[in-house]
Amino acid sequence: MEKIIEVEHLVKTFGTNEVLKDISFDVEKGDVTSIIGASGSGKSTLLRCLNMLEEATSGKILYHGKNILNGEVNEDKLRTKVGMVFQSFNLFNNMNVLENCMIGQVNVLKRNKAEAKEKAMHYLSSVGMAQYVNAKPRQLSGGQKQRVAIARALAMDPEVLLFDEPTSALDPEMVGEVLDVMKELASTGMTMLVVTHEMAFARDVSNNVIYMYDGRIEEEGSPEKIFNNPGKERTQDFLSRFINK
Amino acid sequence: MSISEMNFFERMLYILDQYSGSFFRGAATTMVIALVCTFFGCVIGLLVGMLQAKEPDRKDNVVKRSLMHVVRFILTCYVEVFRGTPMMLQAAFIYYGASQVFHINLGMWSAALIIVSVNTGAYMAETVRGGILSVDPGQTEGARAIGMSYSSTMFHIVLPQAIRNIMPQIGNNLIINIKDTCVLSIIGTVELFFTFKSISGALYTYFEAATVTMAIYFVLTFTCSRILRYIETRMDGPANFDLATSDTLAFTSGLTKYNKNTGGSF
Ligand SMILES: Nc1ncnc2c1ncn2[C@@H]1O[C@H](COP(=O)(O)OP(=O)(O)OP(=O)(O)O)[C@@H](O)[C@H]1O
Ligand SMILES: [Mg+2]
Repeated sequence: MEKIIEVEHLVKTFGTNEVLKDISFDVEKGDVTSIIGASGSGKSTLLRCLNMLEEATSGKILYHGKNILNGEVNEDKLRTKVGMVFQSFNLFNNMNVLENCMIGQVNVLKRNKAEAKEKAMHYLSSVGMAQYVNAKPRQLSGGQKQRVAIARALAMDPEVLLFDEPTSALDPEMVGEVLDVMKELASTGMTMLVVTHEMAFARDVSNNVIYMYDGRIEEEGSPEKIFNNPGKERTQDFLSRFINK
Repeated sequence: MSISEMNFFERMLYILDQYSGSFFRGAATTMVIALVCTFFGCVIGLLVGMLQAKEPDRKDNVVKRSLMHVVRFILTCYVEVFRGTPMMLQAAFIYYGASQVFHINLGMWSAALIIVSVNTGAYMAETVRGGILSVDPGQTEGARAIGMSYSSTMFHIVLPQAIRNIMPQIGNNLIINIKDTCVLSIIGTVELFFTFKSISGALYTYFEAATVTMAIYFVLTFTCSRILRYIETRMDGPANFDLATSDTLAFTSGLTKYNKNTGGSF
């Protein structure tokens, strides 16, 4: 399979605090990679380095073989290809649902309004939010906001989608609706990297699981291996906390 | 009947009757200066506030960075000096300074407009900076994450929200400007307060003239504050939204009303 992202010896420090320590892994087209690990282990920072919301300190991030860290790749261009869905949704509060899904297409991709609207409607329908085009974010529930945020990211026709704990800010009864959308997306072959505490999602939907501990990849492998037969004691400890819950 | 024989109300009516034209011209001058200067003050404040709120970009070279430092220092001086001194003295300083040092006669109108705009700008700069900082950083991240540039993010996402947040302060500034144009009487601007002084000086009816003039000021400021409230609610949009019907692509054809509290009807 074609490699989309290759991370090589990635290091990220905030001041003197080394948050990512020598991270290396690959993402192939169609991969659904779950990133799990304790709070503060660097999961968000890793994800944010991949779309350059954080500037990596050293190492390489190859996107289709091109290193995005040496200035050759335009960061705004990259972000249209590597979309992101946030824990806190980050929908534009001054725009309605439809405008949220159109602004990037019109402003960045220079699509005309009609085309942008059609695309926005297409993805809003696919996340079940087409009826809410006129609503402002503040008028939506958390689950609805997150589904709009996913549609907004999809409307840019990205190649990879990064999810940073997309269900962590949701009331329990809304987690399912967002996970369902993500499952459906995974089944269409979208390449996804998902930071999550939803172990069922990591086990059932992803084909690759990365367990992070203290800024390193402690263990990486298929969900069967990580969940049924973890090789490291720390992975076992971490997972046992979820199973016992 | 001479004015000394009149009672309080008769004197007020007399003043209104005799000087309605002067009051009207004074009030019009006051309103023109207040509205124009609040507008330009907001423009100045937006530019200065945006420059002051901008984080230095890590990719900028040394020259651009130091230039930004110098610009920011000058802007900070401007803000602090114009917020920290009385506008009446600023008016005298600029108006008489221009003619004495630069031999420029600004003329009463341009002097008045420049002084009040520049003064309002200093206040608005801080307000705008605060307004920009008050917008959730997640809004910027959301925009950057779909590839929007710094300026697009500012223009389409951050500023509209910042401006909405600072609307009460813009209104406040307008009302302050309506009242504070009175200090321009020091450079001879014939606004509402100047009108009061002339009338009360001519008739020796300070109490009645003050009452009438205060009432006019109040009508002006109260009207403005109501209009601004209305604009604010218009900016917020309707409390409920229209739920598009199930035929999603033809959603312009029919809409059902969705009420957040009672739910929609299908
Ligand atoms: N902007 C920043 N400046 C300084 N330190 C930071 C910054 N962002 C993150 N950190 C630090 O980096 C470490 C990793 O943070 P990160 O947010 O990546 O963890 P995480 O694995 O996503 O945790 P969580 O599950 O709580 O979201 C933490 O110790 C955090 O304090
Ligand atoms: Mg995190």
